[in-house]
Amino acid sequence: MKNTKTINNSNDLPTSSLSRRKFITLTGASLAVLSFPMSSAFALSSNKQVSSPKIVWLLLRGALDSLHTIVPTFDQQYKTLRPKLSSSFKSPLLPLENGFALHPSLKNLHQWYQDNSLLPVVAVSSGYPKRSHFDGQDYLESGKSEIDHDSGWLARAIEVKNKRALAVSRSTPISLRSSSQVNTWYPSNLKDADDDIYAALDKLYQNDESLRASLESGLEVRGLVGDKKDKKKKRQGKFIDLAKSCAKLMVGEQGVDCAMLELGGWDTHNNQGTRLNSKLSELDQGLAELKAGLGKEWQNTVVIIGTEFGRTAKENGTGGTDHGTGSALFIAGGAVNGGMIQGDWPGLKDEQLFQQRDLMPTTNSFGWIGNVLSQHWQFTEQELLQVFPHVKPYNQVLLRS
Amino acid sequence: MSENSMSSTIISKANIAVNRFGYGASDNELAQAEKDPKNWIKAKLHPVAFTGDFPHSNNVLIEHAKYQKEKKRQKKQKSMNSQTGNMQASSMQASDMQLKNKMTINFSRLALRNMSADTLKQAITSSNSVSWRLLDFFSNHFSVSANGQLMVGLAATLEREAIAPHLLGNFEDMLLAVEQHPAMLIYLNNEKSFGPNSRMAKKLKKGLNENLAREIMELHTLGVDGGYSQEDVIELAKGITGWSVKRPGKEYGEGFVFRAYGHEPGNRKFLGKKYNQKGIVQGKQMLHDLAMNPATAKHVCYKLAHHFVCQKPPVSLLKKMETTWLKTQGNIKAVMLCLFDADEAWLNSAQKYKTPREFVISTLRALSLKKFKDKALLSTLINLGQQPFNAGSPAGYSDDEQDWLGASALMARIDWTTMISSYNKRVNAEKVMSRSIGNSISQLTYNSVMRAESRQQALTLLLMSPEFQRR
Repeated sequence: MKNTKTINNSNDLPTSSLSRRKFITLTGASLAVLSFPMSSAFALSSNKQVSSPKIVWLLLRGALDSLHTIVPTFDQQYKTLRPKLSSSFKSPLLPLENGFALHPSLKNLHQWYQDNSLLPVVAVSSGYPKRSHFDGQDYLESGKSEIDHDSGWLARAIEVKNKRALAVSRSTPISLRSSSQVNTWYPSNLKDADDDIYAALDKLYQNDESLRASLESGLEVRGLVGDKKDKKKKRQGKFIDLAKSCAKLMVGEQGVDCAMLELGGWDTHNNQGTRLNSKLSELDQGLAELKAGLGKEWQNTVVIIGTEFGRTAKENGTGGTDHGTGSALFIAGGAVNGGMIQGDWPGLKDEQLFQQRDLMPTTNSFGWIGNVLSQHWQFTEQELLQVFPHVKPYNQVLLRS
Repeated sequence: MSENSMSSTIISKANIAVNRFGYGASDNELAQAEKDPKNWIKAKLHPVAFTGDFPHSNNVLIEHAKYQKEKKRQKKQKSMNSQTGNMQASSMQASDMQLKNKMTINFSRLALRNMSADTLKQAITSSNSVSWRLLDFFSNHFSVSANGQLMVGLAATLEREAIAPHLLGNFEDMLLAVEQHPAMLIYLNNEKSFGPNSRMAKKLKKGLNENLAREIMELHTLGVDGGYSQEDVIELAKGITGWSVKRPGKEYGEGFVFRAYGHEPGNRKFLGKKYNQKGIVQGKQMLHDLAMNPATAKHVCYKLAHHFVCQKPPVSLLKKMETTWLKTQGNIKAVMLCLFDADEAWLNSAQKYKTPREFVISTLRALSLKKFKDKALLSTLINLGQQPFNAGSPAGYSDDEQDWLGASALMARIDWTTMISSYNKRVNAEKVMSRSIGNSISQLTYNSVMRAESRQQALTLLLMSPEFQRR
């Protein structure tokens, strides 16, 4: 596939990638003997630091109702299918192109759209054919044609390109499983144990690989974030704060190349109008924090926002929507060539719906993500097969040249 | 991944009985189990009994109705005051109102806190902890989350009122009790799900909600690969339309109610079978058939073996359990006895990494502590990532090592253990070691504990050792 742009960095030069690999090895070695502080290990790479293209993968768990988020105001069927939901918006919708409009809670995202750094993709699906949240999420995270609980697409991607990733989570989500370059971080309000206990435990875990691996990555991240100084511990776990911390862990010399965030609460079977007003606002504010925290790095960043599937085209009997199929994907960030809608609109007439019920998917989520990987991280078609063995990437120009 | 990372320490049968099947050794249980581990654990299956003065779900519903009525009255009062310009009366009433609302909100929160802490404490102090583990298993199988004021009050009542009474009885009875319990009906939105052609739907402009029906099949009975279609989801949803909850103050009584006018009229075709019953019997028959379905036996037996035995239970063990299930029409006690009788359940190396809940309960059992502060217990589980009734999904909390053994989760566990050890500095780690793990311990762990630089560090190392973290 044709690469439409060259990102301004030296990551593809042999010298640089070599030093990067060396740096990772050194980091690992220093952890094994628990030498603190971490900074000495990182200092090795400091003189060659060039900011690398970054990816944030945000998974919305619970199935976001895309029709309530990117509203097709031009579609005659919309109001017929959703008499209550279509009139539940508290303020005017925020216009996009071709008669689509964003939910009024997404003020920051709308600004991004106007700045050409947001690309909404309508009517997408991972290809998961059923309607179970749990399998649907696993499928989207795994990125293979059959769910593999031990390997995720993002993990495979960072393995190919020798990148480092962070999951803002207590343990590794499927998306990032099967790579050794992944760390987890999540705020805790327990008092940190003393360093000597860690050293003693590291010794105690010499025959238990998984306990030892978790201990070592836990120590590495704790050294970076410095949660000890964090005074706002009462608010731990709020998306806005997680997004802020996530940005912190991505910038600077020790920043990771990519991160995964999760936000639940999208399973709106009832009272959807009110629930999405606040939920989408939480999402919008969190993303604004992420952008602010990334600072200059924002220009180098692509944020991919996805969900396991969509919801029924028709509203249900309790002011909500039930599990569906086609949904939306957002591609955002300073590196994105946005300000337009991507994806084909299938229409909402009975015969245009999937099983006369759900928004019909017209493109595959992995096709778009593959497209981002090829343009942002310079994946060749061959390399992409290791990430998504069963889906070919699209070739629209998604990033700025 | 987990197989090759397990420490190769051989664990004794008594240790397995006490630590893998039960919630961990307390007092001299390990010594008691030594003589005949199999029969020791089999004799520990007792019905669990809840005592103490805790609100029933009906009380929660009544309190909630009062709260809503009061809120409505206040809103009216407020608008009247602002119309008449009576600012003084308005501000006086405002503080009075806030107080009243706060009391109701506190009622729900206290109910949740007291009941969740009570279950934990019973599990910690019980001499038949395997039964409390079984209760927790089914409470998580039928997981409800305390989201929103009403569910905060109701969540903890489900395991007490619908699960515990049938714990060693038939799965069908438990299933029916759960799906008719206000907590489940409200959590999965069935209380307002009405048949599209029912009289209620036309009058109230309300309709069908598939949520409960889908999760009954996917999570509670057949399992996601149990061979049902989207049509079956809709047919079951229609079959249980009208299964609802009374609104105290607006109608007489409280609790489950069948609203005949909300039930979808007509016959249903569900999983290839015709249901021409009328009214509530139709949904009951569907649930009966789901409970008797071999896919349900397969799904629940797998989950039981996966929880009680190992990550990938051997087919021969599952076969035995399923056969017992089908022979006894889903008698839970018979299935559990069958599990204990099977040699495959007694694999002599550690098979499971403890969840935060298991770890906290087994730690406090090992320390033989008998008194706890509710708040401290619960905040521990919050910090370790497994707050009771807060899984946030009807699938409940995970039972897999990879979901609990993350870097950050392990750090939180170490921090808590350090704190607990600092509160119990007088405890003799060597004694706790022989009481909780016995001789199923590696030389490395034994030496590390014995040579630790302080009692506190010795206890931390013991509790964080692979032998204590795994079962």
